[in-house]
Amino acid sequence: MVRLLALAWLAALLLPAQNLALKKHQLANGMTVIIHEDHDIPNVALYFFYKVGSRNEKPGTTGVSHFFEHMMFNGAKKYGPKQFDIVMENNGGRNNGYTTRDVTVYQDWFAKPALDLILDMEADRIRDLAFDPKLVASEREVVYSERRLSVDNSPEGSLDEQLWAAAFTAHPYHWGPIGWPSDIEGWTMTDLKEHFSMGYAPNNCVLVVSGDVTETAALALVRKHLEAIPQRPGPTPVRTKEPQQKGERRVVLNRPAEIPFQMIAFHVPATSHADTPAIALLTTLLTQGRSSRLEQRLVERDQIALAVQADTNEAVDPTLWTFYLQLRAGIKTEQAEQALYSEFERLVNTPVSDDELKKAKSQFLASFYRQLKTLGGKANLIGNFEIFHGGADRLNEYAARIEKVTVADLQRVAKTYLTAQNRTVATLVPTKE
Amino acid sequence: MRLILLLLTICASAQVKLPPYSKQTLPNGTTLILMPRAELPLTTVTAVFRGGAEAESVAGLASVTAELLERGTATQSAEQIALAFDSLGATLNTRASDSTLTIASEFLSRDTGRALPLLADLVQKPAFPEPEVKKVLAQFLDAAKSVKDDPQAAAGIAFRSFFYGPAHPSSRPVRGDESSLPKINREMIQQFQRRMLVGRNLTVIAIGHFTPTELLPQLTAAFSSLPAGEAYSPIADPGVPRSAKPRLLLIDKPDATQTYFFIGQPGIKRGHPDQVPLQLVNTLFGGRFTSMLNDELRVNTGLTYGANCQLTLNRLTGGIVISSFTKTETTERTIDLALNLLKKLNSTGVTSEALKSSKAYTKGLFPADRLETNDQLTQVLTELELNGLNRGEIDDLFSKIDAVTPERANAIAKTYYRGEGLVFVLLGNATKIREAVKKYAPEVTEMPIAKLGMEP
Repeated sequence: MVRLLALAWLAALLLPAQNLALKKHQLANGMTVIIHEDHDIPNVALYFFYKVGSRNEKPGTTGVSHFFEHMMFNGAKKYGPKQFDIVMENNGGRNNGYTTRDVTVYQDWFAKPALDLILDMEADRIRDLAFDPKLVASEREVVYSERRLSVDNSPEGSLDEQLWAAAFTAHPYHWGPIGWPSDIEGWTMTDLKEHFSMGYAPNNCVLVVSGDVTETAALALVRKHLEAIPQRPGPTPVRTKEPQQKGERRVVLNRPAEIPFQMIAFHVPATSHADTPAIALLTTLLTQGRSSRLEQRLVERDQIALAVQADTNEAVDPTLWTFYLQLRAGIKTEQAEQALYSEFERLVNTPVSDDELKKAKSQFLASFYRQLKTLGGKANLIGNFEIFHGGADRLNEYAARIEKVTVADLQRVAKTYLTAQNRTVATLVPTKE
Repeated sequence: MRLILLLLTICASAQVKLPPYSKQTLPNGTTLILMPRAELPLTTVTAVFRGGAEAESVAGLASVTAELLERGTATQSAEQIALAFDSLGATLNTRASDSTLTIASEFLSRDTGRALPLLADLVQKPAFPEPEVKKVLAQFLDAAKSVKDDPQAAAGIAFRSFFYGPAHPSSRPVRGDESSLPKINREMIQQFQRRMLVGRNLTVIAIGHFTPTELLPQLTAAFSSLPAGEAYSPIADPGVPRSAKPRLLLIDKPDATQTYFFIGQPGIKRGHPDQVPLQLVNTLFGGRFTSMLNDELRVNTGLTYGANCQLTLNRLTGGIVISSFTKTETTERTIDLALNLLKKLNSTGVTSEALKSSKAYTKGLFPADRLETNDQLTQVLTELELNGLNRGEIDDLFSKIDAVTPERANAIAKTYYRGEGLVFVLLGNATKIREAVKKYAPEVTEMPIAKLGMEP
């Protein structure tokens, strides 16, 4: 057997190469701009992170952040309906967007000569978005189609929605970014306009420019197009805190399916919390790679699961640490649950070995750096660190924070969060068609 | 999410060039390709064997064989192998496609001396332990069942089978199905491995942070003991004949609230003289957000979250395939609109302005789509090797794009985007759409989703 790799080697090799050079500026209107120069290919990734998501919504208008993301492509003053996409594609660019519980992100990828033009289009829609009632009606249908695709006709999507709804009773993480069906049908023009004026203030935005640019030239263009947009009050703070969970919650979903599925989630602190690196390493140790504990136990040894995964999403507020079990056909969910819990007990009762911790660190850091392969991957990571981890600069410290995690930290984190009282169990029970 | 990224099959370029690489052949027939790139301190080594699913006797055999390469050699158990790669923070991926079986690892360049012998051991000394064979086959069987829980994926697999027909390897479910997997046993796997995983079928592609003069002897040592074997003769192209009459398969999923549909017609194979103009036209028809299909079915009418048209560009002739989904009630309207667009493209073609836009779009995004990461470059080199192409396909692409005239593009639209002999696959609530969709084909085949992948 190959000896375990000492982390120090990995760190020594990767860290100098991977220290991302970041240049951070603030425009007069409060917009944060982070520039990363990378001249490998003649392209640019431009990511706008608006700090508004479904956590800023209310009952009745759930999903409006995501709907708004769609409306941002439907025309403004200078570039009318369809023009944003047409002009971008005419100039060798492509775009997309995504909405989470915390942020709404707009992504542009393009050949570098188009930077000036793309910034002009972005400024136009942030400053002067149009709200055409006909387009609102049509886009509402598009969003409902997206919901049918990703939630209503997807066993995992439906189960995930139920899981969060059960785990969060008070905090707006209760609903997902796609929104409840009746709200999708019910949004009004006023809801949209209010959302825009709340969320799309320049001072509520982080812009990341990653690619074949120079800092000076890129910053000059950003200033030219975006600095004059007036500052406004951003979203009001989300006051509601989720009360501590005082006992297991269970939710069952009956629907036609071939394979049972379970999601088991635990409340954990916000991403900015000091426990985040230890939680990340435990997630790795439990589920990353075939040698991980849960793969070995549930998939390989007991052969009761087809796949095991776990994650914590990056979040401004306390969030969930979720384990996903795709079971083998005919397996009772109780059996999988018990196997999972016994692995958690093992973590609590017996410290992991130094070798196993080293393995998890190597795997985590290797995966972390793999996110830097593309301009878009870099832009996304930089923005996420700026918003969720307390600053983009912390990206370059993260490997050191991972290194510092001890065996005792893992044991303490397992004991603190992976408890019966803190868990919500969502189970998909297949029915026949 | 605003848009599911459309799977583009764009493949060529010009002002940008493929980075330099070297190529040599070992005495056992193995081809080695080395492309040094210093961006990240990582190296990717990919062993590509010709053959894959087209060489198998039972659907899924190549995929099962690939998976089992990770699960035991003469000297290492499955668990030891997993631990060895995970401990290096290395990836290990095995898979089969229609025409290849690949095994790949990405590791820190610094660990080459450890990772390469490990990888070579998996390629050259697989043991196929019986318990692992049983386990993997059972896992594949459950995975094949679970495909039915993903309507879009299930409809896609059904489409391949119905569209290509049994003579074409692309009709196979590459990972097997509920009727094929139970027929696979250890002996068949061993035979497949001995026949196909030989030096004369192997190309090893190394891309990353290394010095070729240092890596070459290491690669040579790692892969030289593989027997030369017999070179696999790829099957002749069966082509994709246009159907004399339209054909339609309706898969019933009573709880579905939307209909997923595919509409296919014959396309071309990789390297065909029409490839570049066809790609430019397809980008305009269904290959990007502002394409005719997405513009009409999503932007103008709100009928769907996305609509596209994909070209398959492999060694064997593939298809030109429209796909989308819409709520059950608007199934007929959506398909009608898609067919109208097909007619419109055929009769009126594209404007020179649109063609110019397609060229700019393709060239602008080409570096990020094909040349940015080691994984993308591995894919490009694999495709060049498999299809007998050279770097000219990349290096001359922009000039080929520039040379496409509006007349050429419109001739392409007329030749390939036709309204007759279409093949339809729909998955949805059959009770509600059965009557309406009869008009698309003289004969409709219907099956419940439970029967998908089962013996007929």
